[in-house]
Order: sequence, then structure tokens, then C-alpha cells
Amino acid sequence: MSNKTGLKQFVAKPARLPTQNDQTIIRRIHSRCFNTIGNSILTISVVVLGWYVISAALDWAVFNAVWHASTRRECMNISPEGACWAGVISWFNGLIYGRYPTDQQWRINLGFILAVMWLFPLSCQKIAYRNFILLSWIGLYPFFGAYLFLGGTFGVDIGVFHGVLTCLASGFFILLYANWLLAILNKPHLCEIFQPLASRLFNRWSQPLCLLFVWLVLSLPAAAVLSQVQLQPVAIERWGGLFLTLIIATFAITMSIPIGVILALGRQSTLPVVHWLSLLVIELVRAVPLITVLFMAVTLLPIFLPSDMELNKLSQVLFAVCIFAGAYMAENIRGGLQAIPRGQYEAAQALGLGYWFTMLLIVLPQALRLMIPNIMTSFISILKDTTLVSIIGLFDIMLMARNISNDKDWIGLHTEPIAMISILFFVLCYSMSQYSLNLEKRLKVDRS
Amino acid sequence: MTLQNRSATTPEPHGRAIEISGLNKWYGAHHVLRDISLDIAESEIMVVCGPSGSGKSTLIRCLNHLEEYQEGEVSVFGHTLQRNTQSDRYIHQTIGMVFQSFNLFPHLSVLQNCTLGLTWLRKKSDSEARDIAMSLLERVGIANLADRFPGQISGGQQQRVAISRSLAMEPKIMLFDEPTSALDPEMVKEVLDVMVNLAKTGMTMVCVTHEMQFARQVADRVVFMEDGEIVEVGPPEQVLLNPQWDRTKEFLDHIL
Repeated sequence: MSNKTGLKQFVAKPARLPTQNDQTIIRRIHSRCFNTIGNSILTISVVVLGWYVISAALDWAVFNAVWHASTRRECMNISPEGACWAGVISWFNGLIYGRYPTDQQWRINLGFILAVMWLFPLSCQKIAYRNFILLSWIGLYPFFGAYLFLGGTFGVDIGVFHGVLTCLASGFFILLYANWLLAILNKPHLCEIFQPLASRLFNRWSQPLCLLFVWLVLSLPAAAVLSQVQLQPVAIERWGGLFLTLIIATFAITMSIPIGVILALGRQSTLPVVHWLSLLVIELVRAVPLITVLFMAVTLLPIFLPSDMELNKLSQVLFAVCIFAGAYMAENIRGGLQAIPRGQYEAAQALGLGYWFTMLLIVLPQALRLMIPNIMTSFISILKDTTLVSIIGLFDIMLMARNISNDKDWIGLHTEPIAMISILFFVLCYSMSQYSLNLEKRLKVDRS
Repeated sequence: MTLQNRSATTPEPHGRAIEISGLNKWYGAHHVLRDISLDIAESEIMVVCGPSGSGKSTLIRCLNHLEEYQEGEVSVFGHTLQRNTQSDRYIHQTIGMVFQSFNLFPHLSVLQNCTLGLTWLRKKSDSEARDIAMSLLERVGIANLADRFPGQISGGQQQRVAISRSLAMEPKIMLFDEPTSALDPEMVKEVLDVMVNLAKTGMTMVCVTHEMQFARQVADRVVFMEDGEIVEVGPPEQVLLNPQWDRTKEFLDHIL
């Protein structure tokens, strides 16, 4: 084949599908598991061993298990070989809510649902002020949650600061869902609607002032409603179970990222004081077991603080866990920072981005994405480490599980509660790791 | 053989964009830049060439303060470079830079790479920044790739994005640090075409490059460097076709 120029014209061969080797399942098993005598022996012994372990476990946990009984003695009489799940079932409420009053437990459920609902609008790409959703969840929701879980009356049990922030949080929640609804209906968001009014009132800063105005106006009815409601006060000492575990873990997980970023940047700083201070905190906290950090927070922290300032045990524990998680996170993030090529810093510098813009817009987004697997591993270990707070007497899920064996009806029931919370933790941690895989795929730095 | 430094005289009656005088730089004990003095006029296209390790990249990185230097002075439009944030801000506003390895931000789309500086530093509105960026991408011929990510486009396209990203900040001077060295031969031309077009707009350009064709086509002056010193400076016909120094001739014989 040749064209006008006299050269031969190149035409590529047509592409074809790869050759497939079709194999039946039996043939595939044969070729992989029974291809040599050694492999056959290995296969058979693994199957036999697996059968013994699994069948024994199933016998104990399912076939010989007792599901309905009122005491451990009754369990033993029905089936001495099997698990006594009846005890776990009768204590299940305690495992989840701790010693929280039964008739008030709806507040915990409501708080949990609201926390999830607060984040739900993130799934809507078009919503206005999308970046503020996560920030408000970190900054505002805790106040609302604390009010809901603690209860009490405004001005009496709830201080002015806490009360105001609770109202602002409720106002923001209403604003969030109003904006979400408007975004779904493809209408301009609430602040845009009031924009003409605001721009007539203020010459400058009309947009942020308008947002503030709408937010405050929405907070007023929330304040009116909340000040009329009287929730029965529940002392922090009565919080417990999975509820408390999740509070501590969520708090530590959300705080560990900002603390870690600050410590990691501090450690890389060229300012000697900042550098050495960050290094000291990181190395000191990492070199000490979590239990000692917890004990120190409970025993030493009150000595350092002014004597009129009284902290409850939960806030001391939260402080300790946050610092601990933050120090570990700092090293994760530092690893990510080091993986960013020098060229990225230089390009940002040449564009004229200063230190903070370079870090916030260029380096940290890449470093955090690179480190998603490590960060998620840290999150999972934070969640599991929170069980240690049972040692200093917080009634988290671990202590509740061990308490079952002290109940006179279920005396000596150790294995089943531990098995139960193992399953609970597995479900939580496994879903976290699956979520991280998903996140990793979605947020790949180098999309190619 | 002793090499003398000569400070080149400005060929055109323009104002001076960059004045370098007595620039010295060491990496540890290694003397990488030795008494560099050079003036670059406004709208001048300067090509810097020389063997690897001759300090040409270091020289242009000193111009926008990506590198510190120990002795000497660099002025940009009469503004002397100092070691403070304010001076850096002025320098980075005035000088844009294109790197050998593109250095695009991989987590941002092509368009976001170009609008980043506009929205955060120039405080332009989103739509305004988008319009500016799109018109620049149009100019370098890749407006259709605006929503791709850097990892999804070819090297030549990435380098053109990098050029648009710099141009978006409206610099008065552009530095090119071997912009075509990391590219496949087939992609070199598309980047050079963009640079030639940019040269025609009257932009002051300092290019470290081995593309002698480009130098002959657009350069006002060519600088040849060796061992951290300027060996020869002059119009391309003179330096490239009729070099005065044996070292220049040897180098040119190798690459032409």
C-alpha cells in the first residue's frame, strides 16, 4: 500500500482479545491444590484442621448455646457445653448505653442520628458552604451533643457559653437542611435570597454578614424552644457502654488530625523553639504507654491546673487520649509531608503562595491523601485503645462487659461478653477499613 | 586558560529588567556561581546554555530566590532582592517560572492548577479566575483538557499547563529551566511553539535550554556558561556560529 508521497502507509494490525484458558472448577482445584503429593497432604490437613476449629466454635456459639435463661445456673443446667448468650442479651442495653437511665436513652439515639444527619448533606455536591459542614460538625455539634446527653436547664445546669453555642448549633443545623433542600430543588441558597436586603444594610462584607444574620435569626427560635424544654440531668458518671466508647473515640479521632498537623508542621519548622517543643511533645508522648498517659491525666492534670478549676474525669481522659492520638498522627503526617517532592514546594513558591497557602492548598492535601491507609490504621487503633479507659474507672463497653460477671445472676460469665464486644469491635473496625479503601480509591492524588 | 567575566552591555535602549552583579554562590565548599554579572533588558529573550553542572539552572533559580546566594546582588526592575517575605512577594509576583519536571499540582485539575493563584492570591471571583485561566489554556491550545488531572495528560501538555499556570499570575518576566529536557522528542515542538509565541508578545524571558534552533530563532542574546562562570555573551549568530572561545566551540560541536 502506498500513497501520494511514495512512502508506504503504516496501518496497525487489528487488536484482538487475549487468549482465555477455560478450565472447569474441578480441574482448577486439581491443578492448584492436588498437583503434587506434598500439596495434597497440605490441602487435606488444612481442611481437617479448619473443620475441627470451625465446628467446635460453631458448636459452642450456636448449636449448644442458650438464648433464653434468667440466671447463669439455669444456662448451665440446660447446656453446660454451650455459650450462655442469655446473660449478654439481658445486659445488652447496659453494654450499649452503660448506666444511662433507661427512660432517657432516646436522647443518645437522637444525638447519634443527628450527628450522622449533620454530615449527610456532604453527599450533595451543590450545597452552599460545603466546606463549613465538617468544621461545624467538629466545632458546634459537640456542644449540642453535650447538652442533649447531659440534660439540665438553661442558665442553671448549662452555662451561658454552652447554652449560646447549643442554640447556634441548632440554628446551623436548621440552616444546613434548609440549604440542602434548596440545593436539591435547584433554588438559590438561603443567604442568596436575603443578599439584596443585606447589601442594602451593609456596604462592605455583605456576604459573610448576611450568612451570620440568617444563622442568628434561625438560632433565635431554636433558643426559644430549647429554653422551654427541660431535660432530666444525667451525670457524666452514668454515661457508659458503647456510647461512651464512641464519644471518646470520635473525639480523639477528629482532634488527632488537627493536633497531628500542627505537631508535624512544628517538627519541620525552622524556628528552633517551635521545632524543639513539637519534638518534645511527640517523643515524650510516644515513648509512654497510653495507660500511664491516662493515669497522669487523671492524677497530675488537676495539680497543674488552678485549684478552682475542676475537671470531670471524662474531660481529663479526652485530653489524654487526644494528645496521645495526636502525637502518633503527627508522625504519620510527617511521613506524608516527606513524600511530597521538593518540586511541589518550589512551584508553589514560584507562584507566590506563602508558607500557609503552600501547606494548606498544596502539601497537606497531598500528604493526607498519601497517608490515608496509615491514618486509618491509627484511627482503628485509637478506637480499640479507648477500651483502656475502663482501667481508670470509666464505664465504657469493656468495663460493662466485665461487670456482667459480677452480677449475682450471671456470676462468672466472662467469655460470652468478651466474645460479644469482639464482634462489635470487628464490625466497627472492619467497616472503617473498608471505608478507607473506598476513600483511597476516590481521592487518589495522582489520577491517571 | 583563564576565563574572564565580562558584563554584557544591553543591546537595546530598553529599561533593565534584571541586573545581576558580582553573584557568588557556594554549595558547601563547592563554588557553583563565580562572579556572575549580567544585565537583562525588558522584553529581551535570553538563552542560557552550557554543559551540565555549569551552574545555569542555579543562576536562574537565584533570580527568583528559589536559591540563596552568598555574595552579590540581584535587582528586578530596580528592586534589590532581600531575604524577607516582602521582597519575596514582589519577586514572585513579577517573575514566573517553568520547571524541567513541570511540577504541576497532581491533586488539582488542569483548570484548578491555573486558577489557584488567582483565587487565593489575587482574590478574583471563581468565574473571573475561570475565564482568565480558560483564555490562557486556549492560547496554549489545551482548553479541551481543562477538567483532566495532570496524571492523565502527556508531558508536552503538562508543560503547557505549567506555562499557563505561570502566565495566569501576569508576570513581567518568565524563567524557563530546561522546559523541554524531560519531554519525548515528539512533544518538544509543541512546547517550543508556545514559547516562541510568548516571545512575540514582548515578554522578558530567560531560558535555560539546549534547543539551539529555538535560540537562533528568537533569542536576542545567548549566554554560554562553564564551571559557574559566564564564558561568552552575545547575539545568537555570534555565539552560536562564530564562538570566540574554544570551550564554547567544543560544546556547540557536541550538541549541534
